Amino acid sequence: MKRRGFCVALTGAAAGCRRGPRLNVFNWSSYVAPETVPAFEKETGARVRYAVYESNEEMLAKVMGGNSGWDIVFPSNYLIRPMLEQRLLAPLDHRLLSNLANLEARYRHPAWDPGLAWSAPYMWGATGIAYNVSVTPEPRAWSDLWRADLNGRITMLDDPAELLGACLKKLGYSVNSLSRAELAEARREAIVQKPLLRAYLNAEARDQLVAGDVLAAQMWATTARQAIEEAPHLRFVYPAEGFSVYVDTAVILRESSRRDLAHRFLDYLLRPDVAAAVVRASQTTTVNAAARRLLPENLRADAALYPSEEVLRRGELFEPLPPEVQRLRDRVWTEIKSA
Amino acid sequence: MNRLRFWFLAPARLWMALLFAAPLAIVAAYSLLTRGAYGGLGAPWTLENYRRLWDPLYAAIVGRSILMAGAATAICLVLAFPLALFMTRAGPRKNLYLQLVILPFWTSFLVRTYAWQFLLRDTGLINSLLQGFGLIDGPLPLLYNYGTVLLGLVYSYLPFMVLPIYAALERMDHTLVEAAADLGARPWATLTRVLVPLSAPGLWAGSVLVFIPCLGAYLTPDLLGGGRTVLLGNLVQNQFTTARDWPFGAAVSLAVMAAVIALVVLLPRRRSGELL
Repeated sequence: MKRRGFCVALTGAAAGCRRGPRLNVFNWSSYVAPETVPAFEKETGARVRYAVYESNEEMLAKVMGGNSGWDIVFPSNYLIRPMLEQRLLAPLDHRLLSNLANLEARYRHPAWDPGLAWSAPYMWGATGIAYNVSVTPEPRAWSDLWRADLNGRITMLDDPAELLGACLKKLGYSVNSLSRAELAEARREAIVQKPLLRAYLNAEARDQLVAGDVLAAQMWATTARQAIEEAPHLRFVYPAEGFSVYVDTAVILRESSRRDLAHRFLDYLLRPDVAAAVVRASQTTTVNAAARRLLPENLRADAALYPSEEVLRRGELFEPLPPEVQRLRDRVWTEIKSA
Repeated sequence: MNRLRFWFLAPARLWMALLFAAPLAIVAAYSLLTRGAYGGLGAPWTLENYRRLWDPLYAAIVGRSILMAGAATAICLVLAFPLALFMTRAGPRKNLYLQLVILPFWTSFLVRTYAWQFLLRDTGLINSLLQGFGLIDGPLPLLYNYGTVLLGLVYSYLPFMVLPIYAALERMDHTLVEAAADLGARPWATLTRVLVPLSAPGLWAGSVLVFIPCLGAYLTPDLLGGGRTVLLGNLVQNQFTTARDWPFGAAVSLAVMAAVIALVVLLPRRRSGELL
């Protein structure tokens, strides 16, 4: 009796007094709907400790040691191989994941994990150009972000992989280029572009685009979608030279001692209705074909979120890079920023 | 008596050992390791991370950061001295002015920095007003340049300059100013030969308190500079996040720390010691 009173008093900690096993889920911010986790707890009687992170690096730093206390995390596709080499991942048991069949065909045999032995694709996204319709001619390619008539009204992403990716694509190279010469050329492009730029901004570029301070911005499709929703005078285009693509996946960590429950949570996230609710809440792009069919027309047919096959062929997935190249790219990035 | 002393100091000692000395030792150890293949830490032990600091690219960043922190400190000095002097002579309203100097700390640093963005951007308050009054045709580029970063630093750290100078002036015997005047000193001579020397400890303490955080600042250059420039703080932050090169990041932070310690030690000790 006393104990219960204590629990009621500490409403914030009340979850700790409920029975049932506990699952620890560490996900990107705004990557579930408000009801996603509570509904799972109600259905299974399990408790879920849910926390969010803002970057792959932040998540990786925490789980690297192998005793982070998390069961499920959501790394991007290019982290699967490194995490596997660090022996951080637990194999997925497909007998417990019947809803994997809901995935779009191309995500059932992805290059980074062909049999989905370690990762279940969750969301995907790509990078393009968001712009104001007042810009004429309308931007169609990365090279338009080097146009002198947009001087001071352009922003690029404050992210080495994305900035170098755009420069490499403009030059006709791969976003994953390992070549010293190609990266040197990309650096030159970036330094030429720098005086034309207002700033290097990520999410903040959205407000400035909406306000009209910025006329064209390198932007993630999901961010652009939010901007367009606020301001109808904005558009989004996937550049002609090609663009970068990432897929965020759900994995179970090797350190997890509740793998059955973890599988149950993954299968739950893969359900069409659950996945569709997540997309409606977060306005991201799902890899779940069955869920996409449940979306309202304006989301399902959005050209920024779901580009056509033809456009998609120009996309290129980010891949893991060897450490020497990582270091070279970091130096190039610092050189661009110092220029 | 000694026993009492031991137990009274124990919490502070434990705190410093666990939360200051131990983490610092870990950072020092990191700085001697090699970056692992995917961003972890690995063998062998090496001095390579310190050797990389001599790269002209990083030397330029160090130079730029020192220049920026120095400029911010100088501007703070010029602004804070008259303000502190005014405050000490404000009589009963002294405390009100002190409160006003501290007032910005009641709001989060991040929120205040974002507030500057809203003031300075093209469609922000200042540009809208100037355009509304017909004083300018197009918006002025107020945001995202070195000047904006400097403005942000001065704004953020000005109170750290005002308070020590105020304390020094407050303790000063003000009849000395009258004595100087009686003995024929003009106001300028009174200022340079009486007020400034007597408040020197406050000036030094304030300068150190402003210069050091400015040297390591990363949020202001990032938010008000639009990521167009790299200062030391950004370099360190980038190594620990995007570049995932913890050993190099650790080496840079320790080098900065060593430089700052050298600076403080080199300061005339008797003058600054009182307030630091």
